[in-house]
Amino acid sequence: MPELMDPSMPAGLNLVWMILLLPLAGFLFQAAFGRIIERAFGPALGRRILGFMAVIPIAVAFVIGCILVTHIANQPSDARVAISTWFDWINLQSIHIPFELRVDPLSLTMVLIITGIGALIHLYATGYMAADKDYPRFFTYLNLFIAFMLMLVLGNNLALVFIGWEGVGLCSYLLIGFWYEDIENAKAANKAFIVNRIGDWGMALGMFLIAVVFASSQNLLGGETRYLSFDVILPLAQQVVGEWGGAVVWAIPLLLFIGAVGKSAQFPLYLWLPDAMAGPTPVSALIHAATMVTAGVYLVTRCHVFFEMSAFAMGTVAVIGCFTAIFAATIAWGQYDIKKVLAYSTVSQLGFMFLACGVGAFSTGMFHVTTHAFFKALLFLGAGAVIYAMAHNQDLRNYGGLRKYMKITYFSMLMGWLAICGIPIWAGFWSKDDILGKVFASNDYWHAQGWAINPVVLWAIGLVTAVLTAAYMTRMFWLTFFSGEERWRNLPDPQHTHRPHHVHAHTAHHDEDPDEHGFFLETVEEEGHHDHHDLGPTHEPREVKPSMWFPLVVLAALSTVGGLILSGGYPVTEVFGVHTTNLFKEWNAVSAQPSVLPSKELFQVSHSTEAVLILLSIAAGLAGILWNRARYKKGVPKNEDTKLRRFAGSQWGYDNAMYQAFVNAGGKLSEASYKLFDKGIIDTLLVNGVPWLVASTGKLFRKTQSGYARSYAMAILIGALAIASYIFYSVSR
Amino acid sequence: MNTLAQTTTQGMGLLSLMIFIPLIGAGVLALIPREYASWHRYLALLCSFVAFLVSVSTWYFFSGNTYHFQFVESIPWIQSLGITYKLGIDGISLWLILLTTFITVISIWFSFYVKERAKDFMIALLVLETAMLGVFCALDLILFYVFFEATLVPMYILIAVWGGKNRQYASVKFFLYTFLGSIFMLVAIIAMRFMAGSFDLIVLQDLASRGELAVDNVQMWLFAAFALAFAVKVPMFPVHTWLPDAHTEAPTAGSIILAAVMLKMGAYGFLRFCLPLFPEATIQAAPFMMGLAVVGIIYGAIMAAVQTDWKRLVAYSSVSHLGFVMLGIFALNHNGLTGGVLQSINHGISTGALFLMVGMIYERTHTRLFKDYSGLKRQMPMFAMLFLIIMLSSVGLPSMNGFIGEFLTLLGAFQAGFEGAVPMWMPIAAGAGVVLAAVYLLWMFQRVFYGPNDKPVIKRLRDIKPWEQASVWLLVVFVFWAGLYPTFFTQKMEASINAVRHQTLLPQGERPTWADKSIDINGNGDIVEALERDSEDLGTWTQGRVLVQNNHYLQKGEARAVAVR
Repeated sequence: MPELMDPSMPAGLNLVWMILLLPLAGFLFQAAFGRIIERAFGPALGRRILGFMAVIPIAVAFVIGCILVTHIANQPSDARVAISTWFDWINLQSIHIPFELRVDPLSLTMVLIITGIGALIHLYATGYMAADKDYPRFFTYLNLFIAFMLMLVLGNNLALVFIGWEGVGLCSYLLIGFWYEDIENAKAANKAFIVNRIGDWGMALGMFLIAVVFASSQNLLGGETRYLSFDVILPLAQQVVGEWGGAVVWAIPLLLFIGAVGKSAQFPLYLWLPDAMAGPTPVSALIHAATMVTAGVYLVTRCHVFFEMSAFAMGTVAVIGCFTAIFAATIAWGQYDIKKVLAYSTVSQLGFMFLACGVGAFSTGMFHVTTHAFFKALLFLGAGAVIYAMAHNQDLRNYGGLRKYMKITYFSMLMGWLAICGIPIWAGFWSKDDILGKVFASNDYWHAQGWAINPVVLWAIGLVTAVLTAAYMTRMFWLTFFSGEERWRNLPDPQHTHRPHHVHAHTAHHDEDPDEHGFFLETVEEEGHHDHHDLGPTHEPREVKPSMWFPLVVLAALSTVGGLILSGGYPVTEVFGVHTTNLFKEWNAVSAQPSVLPSKELFQVSHSTEAVLILLSIAAGLAGILWNRARYKKGVPKNEDTKLRRFAGSQWGYDNAMYQAFVNAGGKLSEASYKLFDKGIIDTLLVNGVPWLVASTGKLFRKTQSGYARSYAMAILIGALAIASYIFYSVSR
Repeated sequence: MNTLAQTTTQGMGLLSLMIFIPLIGAGVLALIPREYASWHRYLALLCSFVAFLVSVSTWYFFSGNTYHFQFVESIPWIQSLGITYKLGIDGISLWLILLTTFITVISIWFSFYVKERAKDFMIALLVLETAMLGVFCALDLILFYVFFEATLVPMYILIAVWGGKNRQYASVKFFLYTFLGSIFMLVAIIAMRFMAGSFDLIVLQDLASRGELAVDNVQMWLFAAFALAFAVKVPMFPVHTWLPDAHTEAPTAGSIILAAVMLKMGAYGFLRFCLPLFPEATIQAAPFMMGLAVVGIIYGAIMAAVQTDWKRLVAYSSVSHLGFVMLGIFALNHNGLTGGVLQSINHGISTGALFLMVGMIYERTHTRLFKDYSGLKRQMPMFAMLFLIIMLSSVGLPSMNGFIGEFLTLLGAFQAGFEGAVPMWMPIAAGAGVVLAAVYLLWMFQRVFYGPNDKPVIKRLRDIKPWEQASVWLLVVFVFWAGLYPTFFTQKMEASINAVRHQTLLPQGERPTWADKSIDINGNGDIVEALERDSEDLGTWTQGRVLVQNNHYLQKGEARAVAVR
């Protein structure tokens, strides 16, 4: 790629930098001129201009990404790496961290997902947010998010990845708390940032460990001081880490994995993601489904060499992923809020991705990242359309029969639903089936490596999770679009009722909009919209506008055929003995294939077993669909609100336990220690107490009243004399 | 390269000019009658700005190619006692001087709102600036001590006269607390005079480099006396309790200068005196000092989290942030030391800006309690945005200045742990401070800016005025400058950082001295012969033989060069 590294280009400003700088320019434009344009042209035209200016940079970045893909695809697979350096960030004698971008199949895969799906979601948001009073602020944050996310995936060293890593966390924080006048949203935003920071702590320590380990192996590095750059550390990882051995081998991957657990919402740090649904729905689709939350999978795949060297680390990744998958699936089964169902579903699907990475199928994990980005963005945007049409109510129990009213949304979401349930030929099938197959196939290898839990057990859990996934998605889908009854018509008329328990959540609203729009039970509702009426018997849902349904249709197409095209029908074709090109795998051949693990022996499975596995995973999806279709085809069953479901819905009590332990107890402990140490022991006893003591003793000998200042001086004098006499004693000795 | 910076002057020079411009200004101010209030303000601003320009010129002429002191001035002062008026700066003090002059301009600018006894206020600020600049320039221990204590008086007056409700308690506590700490330093300085016969830092360090200054227990005691003075100033846990009271009660300009500059005098003291003069004691005490730093980081953060007073929260955040500075310094490696100095500067900017902005609101509402605030973002969007940026720089978001310092200090601490100098739990626990910083700062932001805009005290507010915005924007520019291009700051720093580290860690006899100008430090940190150098022209020299090979990291299989005794 000579044109990417051409030093004659002004300050290295070439195509790959344009990808990064376009969204950044968009961000600066929105931040600087957003309000001005809105005011100058009026809300209607002004927002149209701003929306256009927000979508264009992302769309152009996508086009540039495609150009780079064609450039790189022409190279032989081992030459598909180019690095472009701009200027020094941190340049010390002891460590050198330049601003350098890495263009390779892995980063470009992510770039296409981020800019492609990002542009669609930006377009959708121009419609969704059209009536919001903070329209420019929304796109300011959203463009900034894209810039940071691109930095995360394009950065050629861990420190740059960390800029993106924390930067997307910041944008997530700002967007979750976008409607900050409801303090609950602000709290959800804080929770997201802080829980993520716990993960970042692990990632930073991993970074430090890598830097110090490589810096202490100068014999292999030969004077290179870019201790965090991928092109330095990845090729040498095996040698350097192998030389150190011991704890370094497992500590590096596990510390990095803590970061991934935080960002990708895995157990035990997934807690922030469900709360993050407080943000506007396009944010949930873009950040909390398609892109940011997959950063952890990206990190593991990018640094897979470090993981591969430790069977223990790999096992941890697989087990955490597998447990999170089934744990979140059971919670999703207990949700009534349409966005919450999708949120837990995302957590669960991310678990699948880590499961794949954990057994060494990094490319398959990335493939699931891709297909999941298609169908989960689609489902979230579809849910957003439903929420939009249903006067911003998110409770499944108030939906029903919507397919009549929203044909395009219904049809698009149908594709997404089939995809996530794992029905062939839809996208989710190819990746999920491949993951389960790879887990099963790696059994012998990892068993020989001494894993405590055999992959076959993980495979079985994964299969059960697949049934559950199909089940809760069918429940959501049927309660929304089918099941005959139109349940919102049973609601009391909002004009004549008053429910005080809603008042606290909407105080911000009362200034301008005295109407209430909540009902039935407390759900997290979106605010900031003033053009809607309330849900009630007379409500007539309508199809959303074109700027909103167009992205749905595109994503529906991708969810339908995207997986088949990218995988070339693998592994089904294998069973039939047909050889097709697995585009995705071939494309990622260098950056995502195991380099330490023996890829030949890792996944060994016969064609007949493969066929059985495929049939089983299809059966799992069908079973889940049939089970819950039967259950929900007539609406909400009488026995829906069981204790078990409620307990599952409350995250099996985990969230509450964490809250009690850290927020409540921690807060009380902190206050107590403030009163005891800072105020009590140090200040009262020592700082104010010593002069008091001196003053009191002084009184015994002298009648004169000792003032505050004087008694301090006394204490000073005594101390100084003591020190001085000791020093003179030591010197004269 | 010209030789302005590298020549030793036998009279007053650029540094004296810079130091005394504010003092002369203060004198002129004193002569102008009280009625001309705006004269006082603009003249004070002018003086501080000229001092800033002079400090920028020192930066311009300063050469990063040598670790020797530059702009050295030496005038016999009290000859009978051997006290000289000796000034000079290196790559560490250079940045702290720039920080001081810059922050003073901002503080005086913002102090235009002071209506009551404005003349005295400005005089106090200018005198304070002179004293602070003196601290960072002095090379004679008595001169240093005089400046060090001289900072207390104007600050005491600022708190006691223009402070908040509890100002009497806070000002007396501040004065005596810090005075108590430094009196031991004076004793130690005098003791060294008797032992070594000089107050000159360069002479003393020359002796220390050969192990002839003080040994064993005596050195430990001298170290302790200096360390106490500086630890109170920093402040380190558990001698930090003067800080919340002083910061909270001080007027805004006082809080800014306290946080941005005066705390740094402690960190600077460690770097300038403790490490070079008492190397063995430093190495011995390093794990203990790092332990205290870690406790300070965590403890300060937890204390900040439980505050109900906005300004007090920011004050406690300083305890936590300064813990990172100390952590980096006592990691005793290049990453940590550089990070410590950078963190000093960055904390000065970030926390200075936080105090500035809290001050802006306090001037309008006269309340600092969180319960009086809610939904300020809707009321003052521009202020909220600027505050968000500064808060995030304090949180340590990468691409902003706070991150660079925290990253390097933590990396340095981690390196020290990895190489076995300190227990591994220390850097790991210190990392938790970064998580806690997010807890208390985001919570602060939530309580003030988020939520419904329904507090009566806020409803009548307008957004901050353009000149107020401008003062914050200056700081914001710095936030991103230092965050995206810290190399600019480290370029002129590294030689001096290397010198301090070598003076501390190398065995006796191999340590570079400031007295011996025939050696210098090259771009890799090696100690080399400086050939073809006019004895005065330090900035340009030809590199000779490598005397001591440097490696910034302990290589695998290598034993620690200096055995911890």
